[in-house]
Amino acid sequence: MSKKMNQGKQTRREFIKSGSINTAAALAGFSVLRNAYGQNTDTIRVGLVGCGGRGTGAAEDCLTSAPNVKLVALADVFEDQTEKCLKTLKDPDREKGFLAGVEVEKDHIFIGFDAYRKLLETDIDLVLLTTPPAFRPEHFAAAVAAGKNVFAEKPMGVDPVGVRKFMKAGKLSVQKGLAFVAGTQRRHDPAYVELIKRVHDGQIGEILAARCFWCQHYLWKKDRQPGWSDMEWQLRNWNYFVWISGDHIVEQHLHNLDVINWAMGTHPVKALGVGGRQVRTDPVYGNVYDHFAVDFEYENGVHLVSMCRQQENTDIRIGEFLVGTRGTAESHGDRAIIRTDRSWKYRGEKVNPYVKEHTDLINSIRNGNPINEAQNVAESTMTAIMGRQSAYTGKEVTWEEMMASELDLSPARYEFGPLPIRPVAKPGQSA
Amino acid sequence: MNKADRNKKSRREFIKSGTLAAAGALAGFSIVRNAYGQNADPIRVGLIGCGGRGTGAAENCLNAAPNVKLVALADLYQDNLDKCRKNLTDPNREDGQLKGIEIDDDHCFVGFDSFKKLLATDVNLVILATPPGFRPEHFEAVVAAGKHVFCEKPVAVDPVGIRRFMKAGELSVQKGLAVVAGTQRRHDPAYQETIKRLQEGQIGDIVSARVFWNGGGLWKYERKPGWSDMEWQTRNWYYFDWLCGDHIVEQHLHNLDVINWAMDAHPVKALGVGGRQVRTDPVYGNIWDHFAIDYEYENGLHMISMCRHWENCDRLIGEFFAGSAGTCEIVNDRYIIRGQKSWRYRGEKVNPYVQEHKDLIDSIRSGKPLNESRKVAEATMTAIMGRQSAYTGKEITWDEMMASELDYSPPKYEFGPLPVRPVPMPGQTS
Repeated sequence: MSKKMNQGKQTRREFIKSGSINTAAALAGFSVLRNAYGQNTDTIRVGLVGCGGRGTGAAEDCLTSAPNVKLVALADVFEDQTEKCLKTLKDPDREKGFLAGVEVEKDHIFIGFDAYRKLLETDIDLVLLTTPPAFRPEHFAAAVAAGKNVFAEKPMGVDPVGVRKFMKAGKLSVQKGLAFVAGTQRRHDPAYVELIKRVHDGQIGEILAARCFWCQHYLWKKDRQPGWSDMEWQLRNWNYFVWISGDHIVEQHLHNLDVINWAMGTHPVKALGVGGRQVRTDPVYGNVYDHFAVDFEYENGVHLVSMCRQQENTDIRIGEFLVGTRGTAESHGDRAIIRTDRSWKYRGEKVNPYVKEHTDLINSIRNGNPINEAQNVAESTMTAIMGRQSAYTGKEVTWEEMMASELDLSPARYEFGPLPIRPVAKPGQSA
Repeated sequence: MNKADRNKKSRREFIKSGTLAAAGALAGFSIVRNAYGQNADPIRVGLIGCGGRGTGAAENCLNAAPNVKLVALADLYQDNLDKCRKNLTDPNREDGQLKGIEIDDDHCFVGFDSFKKLLATDVNLVILATPPGFRPEHFEAVVAAGKHVFCEKPVAVDPVGIRRFMKAGELSVQKGLAVVAGTQRRHDPAYQETIKRLQEGQIGDIVSARVFWNGGGLWKYERKPGWSDMEWQTRNWYYFDWLCGDHIVEQHLHNLDVINWAMDAHPVKALGVGGRQVRTDPVYGNIWDHFAIDYEYENGLHMISMCRHWENCDRLIGEFFAGSAGTCEIVNDRYIIRGQKSWRYRGEKVNPYVQEHKDLIDSIRSGKPLNESRKVAEATMTAIMGRQSAYTGKEITWDEMMASELDYSPPKYEFGPLPVRPVPMPGQTS
């Protein structure tokens, strides 16, 4: 576990060394603890960077996760995105009822590639980073430099250079005592939390093997409109360009890989994979693959086999499976199950983990024990990138190689204009 | 019934009354002496399928035991047959001149029905080494003719073919015929010792397995002017579903068979991915260049399989087990168990391609015919189940495969037009 523990938690652990947290609270009524569960909390002023579907959803989740949270600023590359986002959030006929706390003034709406910088100059306390993944390392580094707490959607980069930049900013955010929660919401889902706790407690014995899957159908796409530059088309249709999304093994399957890393308490040290673009071959789908299968190996010799695909009309399987010396553990759909001679099934409260992750984040800010998941999710992102690179190249790829790799998929310039698409990866030919 | 069969039959009747060792000690029956001596009854071999593997199998067979004669050849093509005959009789062969080649011109047969003509001769052992697409029909005919068989893997390319092979296999058991398959790992003492230890529990309960055949590409034949579709496809057979079954079936089967062997079972379902990512030129027909399958056995064990034909990529061919008390890896001619009781194979290395023929011939001569038809059919079906899961994008069960009407065979076996099915597309291919 040691690698996964961050310094924020360290502080907390050191604090509670002298007694249980209840004892500590009883002792002196630390204000920081009172605030954690009280209603009279300080206002959290939130800025949203990336106003697409996920950003809009994250803003909503954040606003409903705790009292006295205000959305005060928006940033996006495209003006229509901020308008649509604001309209959705302020819609008086919203299905789920009126959303309180949307207080975005016109002068707090920023557009363009540098919109995030302007947003970070406002008086927000918490920034939601929900642009396509390629921008994450730069945006996160800037948010940390500006001293903001962060919620960031996964993944944390699309290439090794980006992930290392993210990791570096992550360390700084820990030093600065900033909170960081990632959109790997399984880590905030009580069913998962309970399952992994039982795995860590040894209920399935020692872990011997793992499997995880994200096999599903296609995602949305946006057809190119007349007048769109290459850059605009790619940004609006971002899932399908490796430089923006990292490919679906990184953008989506990361969730499942992260669960296994969580259970294992570390990341794999090497990967050998296959993959390709077999069905989803139309140019509108850019240069990503439609399937991967990767054999990951952890330092202790345990193998994780991962499979993911986005192919229409195929069987769906999304979940994680662990095999131990004494039994198995599995999580899929909303089920969390341990099968041993004393089997167990999660029967507790069902919580919306997309909201819970924001509750946990805001509570951690208010109680002065900021959660910081930066290193964990960066490692899971790098895990997925390592698998992708192994499939793209046909080579076994090690963690050390990734941590030293100069692979940088970012475009020469962030501006609207021509932007050639790299060829679809060909194993044995792609570096 | 030929002489070998008669001998075998009487031997079986004889040994009913006692063990083989006891029988040998009793009276020195000539049949026991003959089993391993120079005076063994001749094994008269016919080779069906005279390509590279067929030629190699004939050579392996001739080297496997004394008094083995190759007496008949059959192939679709005269030039294949001539080349095979020339190679085997070459006085300047690298490995020294081969003994036992006694092929008369009137025992050489060419064409789609050449196998029938060969089976009408006085051969008592047939080597089936054509491309896999022909195997079920050939095997069925061999069994009907009452011949012993060495049968290259795989034994079919589709479920209809597998069931046909299995049915003939059952008949071959009833008839007391020997059937040995070209899954030579089962005849390699290093594998035998390793699997024995796994089955004895040396790594505890086996909880996970992984198998790989990650290699580069194979040979190909460019189409020549004048070749019909059928000729091009049968000469360049590796790349057509109906002839080869795709490389997961034709090649990776070896690795899948090892896990089936260790588990003494076959998987009950499969979910896979795959595609044709690099080897996309039309000369490569309609097969894929990579697969990855998650297989599940009835006891819950998962086997992960990965195979690919990608040039300039990392190679990995082997089988790996994780158990509750250790691990086992078989890779690069190393056989290693790590755990509470670590072990490494340090025994004799034998050529399993010869050993499988020796075991076959010994089993015929000893009157205890080996019959591997069911095992190799199950290994082939395992591979087909994985392939179909990847082709379709669906989870496929063993029961579905055993009921499937999928039949890749062409409408007619004749030289002429033969359209190539499209490359499979998950979600679209059924």
